[in-house]
Amino acid sequence: MIKHFLSFEWKQFFRASYFQKGLAIKILLILASIYFGGIAIIMGGALFFLLRKAIPNVDPIVSINNFIIYWFLFEILIRYFMQQLPVMNIKPLMTIPIKRNTVIHYLLGKTTLSFFNFLSFLVFLPFSIVLLIEGYPVLNVFCWFTSVIFLTLSVNYLNFLVNKSNLVFYVIATLLITLIGLEYYGIFAISKPVGTAFNMLYEIPFLIVIPLFIAISLYYLNFKYIKKGFYLDDAISKKVKEVNATDLSWMNRFGSVAPFLKNDVKMIMRNARPKQVLMMSFFFLFYGLFFFTQEMYVEKMPYILAFAAIFITGGFLLSFGQLVPSWDSEYYKMLMSQNIPYRQYLESKWYLMVVAVIIAFILSTPYIYFGWDIYFMIAAGALFNIGLNTFITLFGGALNRVPIELNTKAKAFSNTNGFNPTQLLIALPKMILPILIFFIPYHFISFNAGLIALAASGALGIVFKNFFLNKIESIYQNGKYKTIAAFGEKN
Amino acid sequence: MITTSNLSKKYNDNLVLSIDNLNIPKGQSFGLVGNNGAGKTTYFSLLLDLIQPTTGHIKNNDISVHESEAWKPFTSAFIDESFLIGYLTAEEYFYFIGELRGQNKADVDALVSQFEDFFHGEILGQKKFLRDLSKGNQKKAGIVAALIGNPEVIILDEPFANLDPTTQIRLKQIVKDLAHKRGVTVLISSHDLMHITDVCERIVVLEKGMIVKDLETSEATLKELETHFAGTEIN
Repeated sequence: MIKHFLSFEWKQFFRASYFQKGLAIKILLILASIYFGGIAIIMGGALFFLLRKAIPNVDPIVSINNFIIYWFLFEILIRYFMQQLPVMNIKPLMTIPIKRNTVIHYLLGKTTLSFFNFLSFLVFLPFSIVLLIEGYPVLNVFCWFTSVIFLTLSVNYLNFLVNKSNLVFYVIATLLITLIGLEYYGIFAISKPVGTAFNMLYEIPFLIVIPLFIAISLYYLNFKYIKKGFYLDDAISKKVKEVNATDLSWMNRFGSVAPFLKNDVKMIMRNARPKQVLMMSFFFLFYGLFFFTQEMYVEKMPYILAFAAIFITGGFLLSFGQLVPSWDSEYYKMLMSQNIPYRQYLESKWYLMVVAVIIAFILSTPYIYFGWDIYFMIAAGALFNIGLNTFITLFGGALNRVPIELNTKAKAFSNTNGFNPTQLLIALPKMILPILIFFIPYHFISFNAGLIALAASGALGIVFKNFFLNKIESIYQNGKYKTIAAFGEKN
Repeated sequence: MITTSNLSKKYNDNLVLSIDNLNIPKGQSFGLVGNNGAGKTTYFSLLLDLIQPTTGHIKNNDISVHESEAWKPFTSAFIDESFLIGYLTAEEYFYFIGELRGQNKADVDALVSQFEDFFHGEILGQKKFLRDLSKGNQKKAGIVAALIGNPEVIILDEPFANLDPTTQIRLKQIVKDLAHKRGVTVLISSHDLMHITDVCERIVVLEKGMIVKDLETSEATLKELETHFAGTEIN
């Protein structure tokens, strides 16, 4: 039976039209996995030596045990936002004689092959090999490594429960926030006992039973949870929530684009996937912290700051905008046969992105802390985003014909939803152009000249708005039939 | 109102539709029947410019549909669920369509209130998203949405499928009223020969993309259609 399931998965994956079309996508995906896998392996291999150099007086295995909690924390967070839960079309399976347990085991087993589990594996395997080469006791290293993998699997199954059950989500979230808070304010450092615990795992090999037990219990909990819901009227058919009507009539002041704007706001608030994007764009606000805290960038390479500035105000613009027609893929046919000028449709998306940039800019006010230069840089970046990046993004969207399921979370890496090579090419100018526009006047004249150039290019873009929109509209028009056909295919 | 000339649609050498000449006058209730794959939905999709004709063209009120968008203000359609916006409630969807067709809230309310009977209390005030309604109820919402904004041409693909008997009967009355009292050109496709002969003044039978029969509806039509389809089944 498992054999059949695997062949279904295989067919589902390879027979999807976006896959058959894009050889380039396949190559890119393979390259991307080699790249990330490679980085993980190299990191794992180098970790030992890096730690020995950074903290010379402590055994690297002890250092890593002291810090490993952050790795798992990172894993929990990234999994919550990125990992897609296994979904199977079980409706056709319910009436044919397959044991329920088989289906559930398969479903849970499938998650073991998730990219996120391999990440851990790829980092800690080379690290463990280096440990062995360095002459650490084989049994201890082996058991420690296996324990880490068991714990990774535990996180995997925990994430499943967290996603499925609100109760578990709130419990885990409260626990994490409390512990992080206590640690941050120096009241109680949970990382210490956890570090000790991991060190004990290493020193006493038979303690491996504890992570094993945790992994098995979480698996069992999941099993029970799914089994309980293995009826169409439960977990599988989605819950019908009562809807509160939203009054957005104040948006009518936007005139002819108002109906679309109102619709887009509802779309974002009521569907899982755009909500996820909204959340991600919020995190982009903090992107500047990586750069503005580094003397090196601020003093010597301020053009890199232009890059950061684009991201701070452009998070939503970049992540939402690049999937522009796809957001409406579920009802695109209707839009195309309705009384809608394409122009208004595009213009409303433009306004949405502009408003998002402005909101992000207002929220970025605290960056004044890093100095007015930085803040002006963000302002210039915001102008560039409004004036040019919006159009580049809309243009890129015209080439994007992958349907999106609005109410399903995006998968990470195993996901080709809304991903294609043209997107990558289009993404480059969005990031490199502002650096160039800033760099040239900065290099030959001054910092302020760079700022002015960046801001001016954005302002110029706004002046030519109609020209750009006309061009983009005609591209959308030309691709209309292809887009309708592509969106018509359901995954 | 709608003239079709030399229209054909091919998918890689596979001819799915070929109509040399078809005229649908204003105010006619026009029915399209045919087995699966006969080309009914293809014809409607061409009429709505959702796919490109291989040859020929359709003119809707003298506007060639794949060359201009000017037919959109007076044409509306409900083809399938992809015409609904799943994350809106029925009311929100009606208002959205209303706004696109230049109707204010009051206009939409006035129109929709005429169909309370048709909705049978299962559409309005439900506090449910359209995606959470049953197939039949989704269809009801979609059909009524297609009536918003006084369109002159209404296209409904398989409107009777998935509806309960009471609603089917009510829908027939609605369609008859549209064509006879308001002069709306209504295009319907269906697998249900009884319903379509009840509703339509004229019925065209498609087979493998070709028109094989073009009938004025009369007492004998249903019998004729039944014989026709029984015959093709045996072959």
